[in-house]
Amino acid sequence: MHAVPLKFVQKRVQGGGHRGTNASLSLTSMIDFLVVTVVFLLMTFDASGEKPANKGVTLPPAENIQDMIDAPMVAVTGSLILVDGTPAGNTRAIEDSKRLQRVDELFNLLKGKRELWKQLHPGKEFPGVVVLQIDQEVQAIVVKSVFQTAAFAGYPNVSFMVNALPKTH
Amino acid sequence: MAGVSVDSGGKGGRRTTDSEINMIPMIDLLMVTISFLLITAVWTHMSRINADAQVPGPPRPDVEETKTEPEKQLHVEMRQPDHFTLVWKQSGTIITTIDVPRKDNIEKLQGNIKKVQFTELADKIESEWKTVGQHRDGSDKKFDQAILHTDNDTPYMFIIGVIDAIYRPKRDYTVGGKTEKMPAFNVTFAVN
Repeated sequence: MHAVPLKFVQKRVQGGGHRGTNASLSLTSMIDFLVVTVVFLLMTFDASGEKPANKGVTLPPAENIQDMIDAPMVAVTGSLILVDGTPAGNTRAIEDSKRLQRVDELFNLLKGKRELWKQLHPGKEFPGVVVLQIDQEVQAIVVKSVFQTAAFAGYPNVSFMVNALPKTH
Repeated sequence: MAGVSVDSGGKGGRRTTDSEINMIPMIDLLMVTISFLLITAVWTHMSRINADAQVPGPPRPDVEETKTEPEKQLHVEMRQPDHFTLVWKQSGTIITTIDVPRKDNIEKLQGNIKKVQFTELADKIESEWKTVGQHRDGSDKKFDQAILHTDNDTPYMFIIGVIDAIYRPKRDYTVGGKTEKMPAFNVTFAVN
C-alpha cells in the first residue's frame, strides 16, 4: 500500500477508515488450482470434434448406444431434409399422402455422394453408412421413408443420432 | 531475459539450475488455456443407435449359394396403445407370441428432450433372446434379427425407445482376437 504515492488514493484504497477492499491471495494455492483445472480440462478434451445437432432438431435420448462415426449426416427438421447442411427435399408430400415413398432429391444427393466416394477411393468397399438426425416429434412414416430412401441410395447401414443417456443396466 | 531470471553465479563457477519464472505471463497462460478448453468443451455427448436396412447386395454369380435353414426373427409390434406384441417367426410361420404391457411414460429432460423408456419390454426381449436367440457365441459373425412394426403416426421418440429396448441384450463379439460387447439384435423396419 505504500507504493501508492497519492495520499487520497491510498486512503480511498485502504477504505478511509472502513475495511479495505483488497485481499491478499496465496499464489501457490491459486496456481495449484489453475493447474488442476487445466489438467482436468485437458483430460476431458476431445480433439476428434463433435458433430453438433442441427438447429431446431431435438434428438431423443437412448441408453444402449454406440460411438459416433464419420458419415454423411441427413437431418430432418420440421419439414426440411438436409444432407450435411445442403437442402435435399422436404417431407410434406409424405406427411400429406401418409404413404411410404422415396424422397427423390435426397436419393440423388446421397447417390452423388456415394459415386464421389467411389471415385476418391478406387478399389475400396463402400461402407454405406449414413447418420440420421431426426427431431423427436417427427412421424414414423417420415422416418421410414428417409430410412428407405437412404437404403436404396446405397446406404443400408443406417444410424440414428441420439443423446447419450447414462447406463442403468 | 524477460520473464525468466537465471542466476548465473553458481558455486564453483557453474550455473545454477534454478530459475525464477515471472508469475504474470504464467498466470496469463493458464487463464488462456482454461478459457480455450472451456470454450471448446463439449457438454452434450451425441451417440448413435444402429439399424440395418437389410438391402440385398448385387448378385454374386461367382459365389455358390448354400441353402440354409431360415432363421428365427423377432417381430416387435408397437401398434397398440396398451401393449407390445413380440412374435418369433421362422420363414413366415409364427412360433410364439407374447404380449408385453405398454406404459408410455414421457420424462422431460433438460432442453425439452423427452425420454421414453420401455423397461418391461427390454427385460422381456432380453429373456426371450436368452432362450430363443440363435447367435450367442462370440465367434458368430451373424446377429439375431429384430423387425419393428409401427404405425405411421408414431412419434420418433417412441421408435427410439423401442429400438433402445431391443438393443438391451448384449453378446460377446470377437474380431481379430479382441472381444467386445455388442447388441444381440440387428434392427430393421417392417415396410408395411
